[in-house]
Amino acid sequence: MTRLRPAEEWFESHSWQAFGFQREVWEAYLAGESGLIHAATGTGKTLAAWWGPLLEYLGEGHTPSKRRTRSSALPLRVLWITPLRALAADTAGALLQPVDDLELPWTVETRTGDTSSASRSRQSRKLPTCLVTTPESLSLLLSRDRASEQFADLRVVVVDEWHELMGTKRGVQTQLALARLRGICPRLRTWGLSATIGNIEEAKTTLLGSRPVRSRTVRGQEPKSVIVDSLIPPVIERFPWAGHLGTQMVPQVVAAIEEGETSIVFTNTRSQTEVWYQAILAERPEWAGTIALHHGSLDRKRREWVEEGLRTARLRCVVATSSLDLGVDFSPVDRVLQIGSPKGIARLLQRAGRSGHQPGAESRVTCVPTHTLELIEVAAARDGMEAGAIESRYPVTRPLDVLAQHVVTIAAGEGFAPDALLHEVRQTQAFADLPDDEWEWVLRFVGSGGTALEGYPEYSKVVAGSDGVWRVEDRTIARRHRMSIGTIVSDAHIGIQYLRGSKLGTVEESFIARLTPGDRFVFAGTPLEFVRVRDMVAWVRRAPNVSGTIPRWQGSRLPLSGELAAALRARLGEAADGIFRGPELEALRPILEVQRKWSSIPGPGDFLIEKVKTREGFHLFFFPFEGRLVHEGLAALFAYRVSRIMPITFSMSSNDYGFELLSPDEAPVEEALSRGLLESSGLVDDIPASLNATEMARRQFREIARVAGLVFPGFPHSGKSARQLQASSGLFFDVFQRYDSGNLLLSQAHREVLERQLERTRLGRTLQRISAANVMITTPPRTPPLAFPLLVDRTRDRVSSEKLADRIRRMQRTLEKAAG
Amino acid sequence: MRRVEGDLDIDVEGERLTLLPERAALWHREEALLIADPHWGKAATFRAGGIPVPSGTTLEAIDRLESLVSRTHARRVIFLGDLLHAKPGRSKEMFGALEQWRRGHSGLDVILVRGNHDRRAGDPPPELCFDCVDAPYLMLPFVLAHHPSRHPDGYVLSGHVHPGIRLYGPARQRERLPCFVFANEFAILPAFGDFTGLGDVEPSAGDRIFVVAEDRVIDIST
Repeated sequence: MTRLRPAEEWFESHSWQAFGFQREVWEAYLAGESGLIHAATGTGKTLAAWWGPLLEYLGEGHTPSKRRTRSSALPLRVLWITPLRALAADTAGALLQPVDDLELPWTVETRTGDTSSASRSRQSRKLPTCLVTTPESLSLLLSRDRASEQFADLRVVVVDEWHELMGTKRGVQTQLALARLRGICPRLRTWGLSATIGNIEEAKTTLLGSRPVRSRTVRGQEPKSVIVDSLIPPVIERFPWAGHLGTQMVPQVVAAIEEGETSIVFTNTRSQTEVWYQAILAERPEWAGTIALHHGSLDRKRREWVEEGLRTARLRCVVATSSLDLGVDFSPVDRVLQIGSPKGIARLLQRAGRSGHQPGAESRVTCVPTHTLELIEVAAARDGMEAGAIESRYPVTRPLDVLAQHVVTIAAGEGFAPDALLHEVRQTQAFADLPDDEWEWVLRFVGSGGTALEGYPEYSKVVAGSDGVWRVEDRTIARRHRMSIGTIVSDAHIGIQYLRGSKLGTVEESFIARLTPGDRFVFAGTPLEFVRVRDMVAWVRRAPNVSGTIPRWQGSRLPLSGELAAALRARLGEAADGIFRGPELEALRPILEVQRKWSSIPGPGDFLIEKVKTREGFHLFFFPFEGRLVHEGLAALFAYRVSRIMPITFSMSSNDYGFELLSPDEAPVEEALSRGLLESSGLVDDIPASLNATEMARRQFREIARVAGLVFPGFPHSGKSARQLQASSGLFFDVFQRYDSGNLLLSQAHREVLERQLERTRLGRTLQRISAANVMITTPPRTPPLAFPLLVDRTRDRVSSEKLADRIRRMQRTLEKAAG
Repeated sequence: MRRVEGDLDIDVEGERLTLLPERAALWHREEALLIADPHWGKAATFRAGGIPVPSGTTLEAIDRLESLVSRTHARRVIFLGDLLHAKPGRSKEMFGALEQWRRGHSGLDVILVRGNHDRRAGDPPPELCFDCVDAPYLMLPFVLAHHPSRHPDGYVLSGHVHPGIRLYGPARQRERLPCFVFANEFAILPAFGDFTGLGDVEPSAGDRIFVVAEDRVIDIST
């Protein structure tokens, strides 16, 4: 207990009291344990993890030093990994507080993609006592040749927001880096901080790896009660069926903002933040200057200005994307609105938790439907929350692209002996089951100097030295590798900047490519006129008024989670029985009645199929209610199975409720049903067969090609020689398919499509469910309400059993843009 | 010439051209095979830069050239630029294969109208007996060039763009295919190489577009 004394005193000096869970973590840390702390944001997880190493230091009996300079500070002891570089500065600020109060000879610094080159070079001479960094910047440190020396005195790695990382390739990158650090410092402790998720024990074992260590899972403060309500549209239109409310709800949203002091309005996409920001401002022009927007493509300085405005309550309202989901507290926030479906229960909880940090306040989130049917998702989310159905995050297993990148990273740094590195890599959860042949393939793929892959003459990136150590010897290759470390893949982005002035942010190159000088668009809430592109910057000037397009960013559209989908089916089932519980379902009643009249409302034991003919062709609508990803897989599968009966071409669209198969000729769905359309048995063969036709793997390869170092992001001032080495990932995919079909990255692409894009496990379960269900085929007179959103969706895939040439002959050429 | 079903004949400036699904064109009066953008040695350039691209693309293209010459009985092969991708890709293996091909066709005239890549990659070795010239190279009524452009003396045949086009059809079908573009004053041929990629083109009114759909050339400009 006395060992905890300094922490208790520091808490008392701030008139706080340490929580029991914090004491538990400190004791465990001092006893050499590792672990995972899970609780909602803003409940003291940071101090729980931070005071462990501070108490350890204070217990070492150092004589207090009066001089607190960088050079006399302790060497690196704590690595603090954060998923968002925007959080690094705030975190470092919070960590510095006790260090300054106690005048410890510790330095706390950040190192991210935003760090200036001066600080970087200072850090490469000597790292601070605590370094706050991202997984990418950590990998970069491991690609330097003094890694072992720099990390020699490391005591603990704290991984913040681990739930955000664990289900991604960045999580695997983190696992590999941790394995390397444990190789350097065998007694290293690891502590993760996480929001509460469905599989918290798995989160812990994924973080800690397979090497046995003493560890524990610590639950933080119980979350406050959370209120979920919604703004109900005053008039629910039964016509038109689109149901899109657009910004029709603005007056109600503005009224809700006026009820509070400071609000965050969350949207699901960056373009939506721009739309809603404009709409709110148009409704209340006098709010100019007290309302702001925040999303990941805005320039860092602008984002920081907005975050500061939230903390100091200078801003009345911020319209934001998930860019404000994580991070430090914005205590003044007392109202949170969610535009559109939250898509998951945990996500809605997280967003609700951004409000209610004032004493005695509750967390409350108000959902605003953008489509009337979304009201049912709000009701379902509330049900799920009450039942404690929090989603799980599933770790990525055996991504060879990430492994290949890691191997080159280590080779570019201190080099490695293959057997030792394999041993280390297998201690991660992701590669615990890595077979020998896959490891050997990766080694050959990065080039082993002499025994390179057959069919790759004169290729070697990593070279085995005569001392048995494998290194990257070519400095240009090493430099290019460091520039492409990371697993986040995005389209080529281009900066937006005023002609003689400040930076605004970035947009995708493809958006700028469609503009001609003089075109207007809206960005960062500002109307702009496009002047020209030069040096990878789109130069703009302010436009007099708001008109013109809003850029669209390729974001991953989240599918409805399994937990939320189940709650939604239950709610629909009630409606099928004529029970309309709560304000949301009450409001939806007229629409659901039409659905029942024209077609049917499916209950939990039903599987609804609708057949509709329009001028576009013959539509088949299927409603499993399992989320968009599963529906994309089912759409390809069903299209493939029907196309085996007769030559036919389908185009497909999917959303969270169901999917559509559209064909120029009527599809024999009844025959397909009688011939096993819903069978889950042939899934293993049928899914890959239908995938070949849809090219999903080819698209998935984009990320793999980037991570494995085939395609690297253009870097500034790269000359002609770098341009000679650029090719699209699709081209790589085609060339591998044709000339090296055994390439394991190709199989990885197929596996990723199955497991991550199509959620194969969930897909199999869905097939079992619907094959046991009561199939209802209806032929509505026109498109019923549930199907309408599918009809208007313009993002499509295709499955065909016709010859390409036959199809082309039938096609009429339509130009994307009318000429001239 | 041994015709295949996928060949397509067109008239340009009074000359008969056959567009070939192997992504090349035959100019009948001159018995000349027109080929744009082979980018030979591109995969080897990548490998030398530490990026693993399997070999085979260049040799496959040389094989394809070989069978094209024998099936069209061409007397002449004209490359419209970007024969070689870059200096690091100048491998013995590739020049060996080209030499072997050349020995089998010593009577063949081979002309390279240099493109932007050729200027940095250099001309092929002299023993291959390629006539290397700068654009524009006049063979009236045609002007042979690498970059698509207009020329006062004739109709320009060019490459450089690796033209591809997106097609949309009923039931919202989509395809993206390599194509030949014949505009008012110039034409753009598809890239001959396999490891080259496509650049999307936006046709103007009056352009004739011919897509290469697997083993046939199809006129889509109706």
